Amino acid sequence: MTTQSIAIAPHRFAFGYYRQAWWNWLIGAAFFCGGLGAGLFLISLLTRHALGMLVGYLIVVVGKNTAHLLYLGRPERFWRAAMRPDRSWIARGIWASGLFGVSGLLLLLPYWLGPAWQLPPGIEPAVSAVAIVSALFIMFYDGFVMNTSPAIPFWHTKLLPVLVLMYAALGGTTLALTIRELRGGGGAVLDYLHHEEHILLTTNFLLLSFYLLRMLRWAPAARETARLWLKGPYARVFFGLVLLVGLLATLLLSLVHDRVQATWLVALIAACEMTGDFALLMILLKSGLFAPQTAKAYVQGR
Amino acid sequence: MARLGMVIDLKRCIGCNACTLACKQETGTPEGMHYARVITREVGMYPAVKRTFLPVLCNHCDDAPCAQVCPSGATWIRADGLVMVDREKCIGCRACAVACPYMNRHFIERGLLQHGYSSDGLSPYEAIKFADFEEGTMSKCTLCAHRVDQGLEPACVVTCPTEARIFGDLEPENGKLQLLIRERGGWTLLPECNTKPSVYYLDE
Repeated sequence: MTTQSIAIAPHRFAFGYYRQAWWNWLIGAAFFCGGLGAGLFLISLLTRHALGMLVGYLIVVVGKNTAHLLYLGRPERFWRAAMRPDRSWIARGIWASGLFGVSGLLLLLPYWLGPAWQLPPGIEPAVSAVAIVSALFIMFYDGFVMNTSPAIPFWHTKLLPVLVLMYAALGGTTLALTIRELRGGGGAVLDYLHHEEHILLTTNFLLLSFYLLRMLRWAPAARETARLWLKGPYARVFFGLVLLVGLLATLLLSLVHDRVQATWLVALIAACEMTGDFALLMILLKSGLFAPQTAKAYVQGR
Repeated sequence: MARLGMVIDLKRCIGCNACTLACKQETGTPEGMHYARVITREVGMYPAVKRTFLPVLCNHCDDAPCAQVCPSGATWIRADGLVMVDREKCIGCRACAVACPYMNRHFIERGLLQHGYSSDGLSPYEAIKFADFEEGTMSKCTLCAHRVDQGLEPACVVTCPTEARIFGDLEPENGKLQLLIRERGGWTLLPECNTKPSVYYLDE
């Protein structure tokens, strides 16, 4: 028997690949909000745009944390998730979210409550550094949460945190652009962000292609997941939403937007990119497969 | 220090699922939850087809990924190697379930403890046994730690009619488990995951 003939097991008493069924759309929403919000906050902080910072901050603090709390079996004990940062990426993420919440708020207060809330000149760079580092951490730590364990081979690769980080950067850039354009801003920053968006769209396409090619040569369970993406039940989502809408349509519309200035076009670009971003996270989560429970079949497949 | 473990002789296993039932009776797990189960597989082409059985349970790994990823410290490893869950600390994030390559972590969904196997409420047996569980938390095989602490063997071991399961200490080089593993080429599930399981299989 070869690994090609191994099917997805219908239940746990049967032999085959097993579907990852624990992390659902709420985890996908939390990862999506984390990457998007932290990316937007970071880019807005670096380009000094208060509204972008506020929106990014709210997406993380409200969106991400609400999704996580709704998912937990015992949400009233959420604080316990911070107990083991020495070994758990979830715990590290909780600490990063906490630091982000405090430092982000300190940076946002002067914009909304007036100069009286301005941080002393000696402290502001340190708070900004904490906000930048924690936002960057939130952008990629989900990848480590998923890739740490060898249980799901499709996730067990160092490429995953890179992919998650790059998509967070893309989402943040697109949303930063959208907010700036809808507010009627312009100038050199917009040109720079447009250029960055084009580079990220191209890079993410190449990275995603490389990821799948790598998985096709990885462990059998990873190969089976890659097959599900390319030919199986996830092919429509992958080719339709992730590639066509999320990357290609976003890129084409963005290039059209360089010539045609229209508010609806800006909103459409953001909607396309975010659709692709969320679809990617969802199929990553839903298509994760556990290896068949044996040593020998697994070895045969290598 | 002891390292408790098990050797399962696949030559002896007849796939009767007595271990599955004994485990359910001992631990009183709610509907749909099985700490011990037997994976059945049909191998070959007609007319040369055979059915193989693989009894599985928590491997009580020495390098348990479920314990490593647990953010709250709810999953911990006893001095004798048994991997345990402190339900008071568990937040129900299910990271351990995703991290376990052997799929031996179980989440107790909301409402699962409100009904038993019969349609109307809980039986007296279920009412007592379900007190050991808490909704919204993880649960797992403890290798019958409550029995082991009294000097007894796990329920699946004493029930097995073909004595396919051998329970003991993996630590002594010349202990019965190590001798069996050495003499008969014992192997573990998914060795490439480097989890160092404490459950070995014999098929030679």
